Amino acid sequence: MNDAVHGQRADRWRRLSNVIAAAAIALAVVGYFIGITDGVPRPTRAGFPVDHHSPVVEAQENAIPSLHYREIPEKYVRFTQQWRLQPQPLSRPELPPYGTELHPDPQAKLASLRRRSQTRAFNGAPPVIPHAIENTTDAACYACHSQGMQLEGLRASIMSHAFLPNCTQCHVPPPPEFVSPEDYSPPDNAFVGMQAPVAGPRAYPGAPPTIPHATSMRENCLACHGPNMGWPGMETTHPWRMNCTQCHAPSAVLDQMPDTSPIRRALYDSVFDVSR
Amino acid sequence: MKGGLSNNHIDPNARLCMASAVTGFLATYGVDEPAGCYDDLDACDVLITWGNNPAEMHPVLFSRVVDRRARGEKVIIVDIGTRRTRTTDAANHFLLMKPHGDVPIALGIMHLLVKDKTYDDRFVQNYCNFRHWASAESALQGEPLAFDEFQQRLEKYTPAYVEELSGVPADQIRMLAEMFADPNLKITSLWCMGMNQHTMGTAINTLVHGVHLLSGHFGTPGDAPTSLTGQPSACGTVREVGTLAHALPGGRLVANEEHRRQCEEFWNLPPGRINPIPGYHTVKMFDQFTKPSAEGGDIDTLWVQVTNPGQTLPNLNKLFNDKQGLEDKFLIVSEVYPTATTQLADLVLPAAMWVEKNGVFGNSERRTQQWFKMVEPPGEARDDAWMIIAVAHRLMELGHPGMLDRDGKFIFQVLDEQGREVPVWEFEHYYDVNVDRHLFEEYRPFTVMKHKNLAPYDEYVKARGLRWPVVQQPDGSWRETRFRFAAFDDPFVTEGKEFEFYHSTTGDGRAQIWVHDYQPPAESPDEEYPFWLSTGRVLEHWHTGTMTRRIEQLARAMPTAYVEMHPDDARDLSLQSGQWVWVESRRGRIKLPVWIRGRGRPPRGYLFVPFFDESKLINVCTLDAIDPYSKQPDFKKCAARVIKVAEGDA
Repeated sequence: MNDAVHGQRADRWRRLSNVIAAAAIALAVVGYFIGITDGVPRPTRAGFPVDHHSPVVEAQENAIPSLHYREIPEKYVRFTQQWRLQPQPLSRPELPPYGTELHPDPQAKLASLRRRSQTRAFNGAPPVIPHAIENTTDAACYACHSQGMQLEGLRASIMSHAFLPNCTQCHVPPPPEFVSPEDYSPPDNAFVGMQAPVAGPRAYPGAPPTIPHATSMRENCLACHGPNMGWPGMETTHPWRMNCTQCHAPSAVLDQMPDTSPIRRALYDSVFDVSR
Repeated sequence: MKGGLSNNHIDPNARLCMASAVTGFLATYGVDEPAGCYDDLDACDVLITWGNNPAEMHPVLFSRVVDRRARGEKVIIVDIGTRRTRTTDAANHFLLMKPHGDVPIALGIMHLLVKDKTYDDRFVQNYCNFRHWASAESALQGEPLAFDEFQQRLEKYTPAYVEELSGVPADQIRMLAEMFADPNLKITSLWCMGMNQHTMGTAINTLVHGVHLLSGHFGTPGDAPTSLTGQPSACGTVREVGTLAHALPGGRLVANEEHRRQCEEFWNLPPGRINPIPGYHTVKMFDQFTKPSAEGGDIDTLWVQVTNPGQTLPNLNKLFNDKQGLEDKFLIVSEVYPTATTQLADLVLPAAMWVEKNGVFGNSERRTQQWFKMVEPPGEARDDAWMIIAVAHRLMELGHPGMLDRDGKFIFQVLDEQGREVPVWEFEHYYDVNVDRHLFEEYRPFTVMKHKNLAPYDEYVKARGLRWPVVQQPDGSWRETRFRFAAFDDPFVTEGKEFEFYHSTTGDGRAQIWVHDYQPPAESPDEEYPFWLSTGRVLEHWHTGTMTRRIEQLARAMPTAYVEMHPDDARDLSLQSGQWVWVESRRGRIKLPVWIRGRGRPPRGYLFVPFFDESKLINVCTLDAIDPYSKQPDFKKCAARVIKVAEGDA
């Protein structure tokens, strides 16, 4: 009696497991085929694209239905699933091949320095924001300035420092849109700021020069000196070396509190050639 | 001034800025200045900004909070305001309130905490009393209130009634109450001018302290009610050293005989030298100065140092511009640049900037910092302190008896190491000794009474600022205090107690939880003047812009004052961004460009104008109604109208 009940129960289990296995296989097969598509309808027959001069376009079943412009506001048009699953990087310029030496153009450097100085209160000051800003949340600035971006003559520079969310604390925005440059008269201010850096001193001939300017809070040298996103004329000559401070030491003089001791003074003078 | 001239008519710009915060602290804890410090910003889970915009006005502190998000920490920012600002951009919740709505919001939170019994019973039982003002004449101590009476007073402030008064949806009031009911959240409240420049300034300050005390969100890192005021040394050079018309150094009062006696002792003055009658507060002082002597204007000479009242006073036409043409009124201004105040000055004294002299600074978190002169002042510019000493010495030469102490010596006598008198009143000799050090050491004994103990001057030279009370340790080192009244950090809390409010106004070591009734603002919009008008600051400019407007990049970024209004209001008045309008109140009018969808986004019926621009002085429109306790004017609310400027009406 007991055995018979056991047998019946085992039998039922076996049958059930078969059903489950079949269902699982069926699901896997369906899933496989669905999974490799991204949800975009695909034409089923040859003859695609449909000749739109044909009078029977609507009747052709292999046509991908498209929205009329009129319908767009009411329809929810989405990115495809696959597009959403992948990070979508903005296209960025390629790095020059390994070992390609760059020869920065001194004229371009001069022009770059001029442009830079127009957007800064003084050398080393945070640049002002040269474009209108609408949204001041962190993500808005980060969208373009995290990796940098180049569009037709516009250059969104790479953040040279670690991400800090309150951008407008240091970066001064442009005036209200109704203020024209003629409305503005520069204040009576004789402040000239800090001296522009000159070539950094070297420990011995042939040694890498020290960084000739204060690094302040900047840590990504390539923001200015990078081969692609840096300032024209200020690029590194050896773009394949990315760990700048391995060889170029930050200045002991410029990144410390000022000191009037004779040694510091001499060091300072050697960096900032005061006779110039 | 007080010890020499027996004259108490000295008041700070801080009267216009943080007097209500002071009365709020005094009424709640019996002693001024916050219990917490900026470390709270690193530890809080929730940051509530009560009518202030730290993203623009305290950008460095605000970054300290939002930078935590960049490090992956979670901080919920709740912004309570009358318009949307940059702080709103970073906030998780925005509570749009009507002007004066902060009072019912605080009462509404208390109502729910009490009704739902979600307040911190243990904290309240052990460390708090309840107070109220029984009559209009009540002093800052108020009268006691039993808990059930307190409960009764709160009864009507239901979420629905609070919504009616404040305009903030009842659900958002409940959300705030739920946050305060959660003992696991660390809540820091920040406020600034919205709560201080308020005809109920003292009341709303005590209410926000009360919400924190009632819910027990007090006294641990991250749980703190903190007034952000006092930043450019208003705490140090006003609140601590007592340069208010009613105050004496170290938290003492002019009206208190014992306090006067102590000061005369410390200053070595003959007994009775200090005048027992408090002087005029700022608004009264300028009122009396601009009133002709024949009509009872009894202030005839005014010396202004380190502030710009010609731009910052409310109702400027009455309180400042009326001075014009009064022959018997003499205005002396010590300044660095020409300002709106020097416009009417009879004598301008060139002053040295802060980097051009030695100095000591005290900020909002009770931090005292010292610095040495970094550059020489240009031309004949001189230290403000030197000017006072030089004038005092000249008065002594002219025979003024007040310039001598008990022993017949000059009140500002400074001795060198050999004990010889240094003629510091001659500027060539002012830096022969460190006069700052001398003055600081003279002030130090004053600080002990209210437990605002300071370390010796030389300790501040070594440290990058120390938060008082600074107490010497057995090993001789000096230890600062980050969290006051909490046993784990404050050395003055009696052993065995967790918290102790050792300057309690009730003398029992308890803080006071206040209840007040909502009163409407001094002036509200009506048919004739249909808009609310509020004033404030912008990121680019510090107060009246005397320095920041001289920096090209900042001046270019924000070259002009403007009036913000809602796009629909602008449409109704046929206005576009950049068009000129007259903003007019019952007191004056001023021409401004309109900025729609600009820096801040006000709701309908609301105007905002920054006050930095000396060519467009909005303070000709503002109201000089004051808080009855702090005497601080309400710059944030008055009724105004907008009139489009006709073409050609330049």
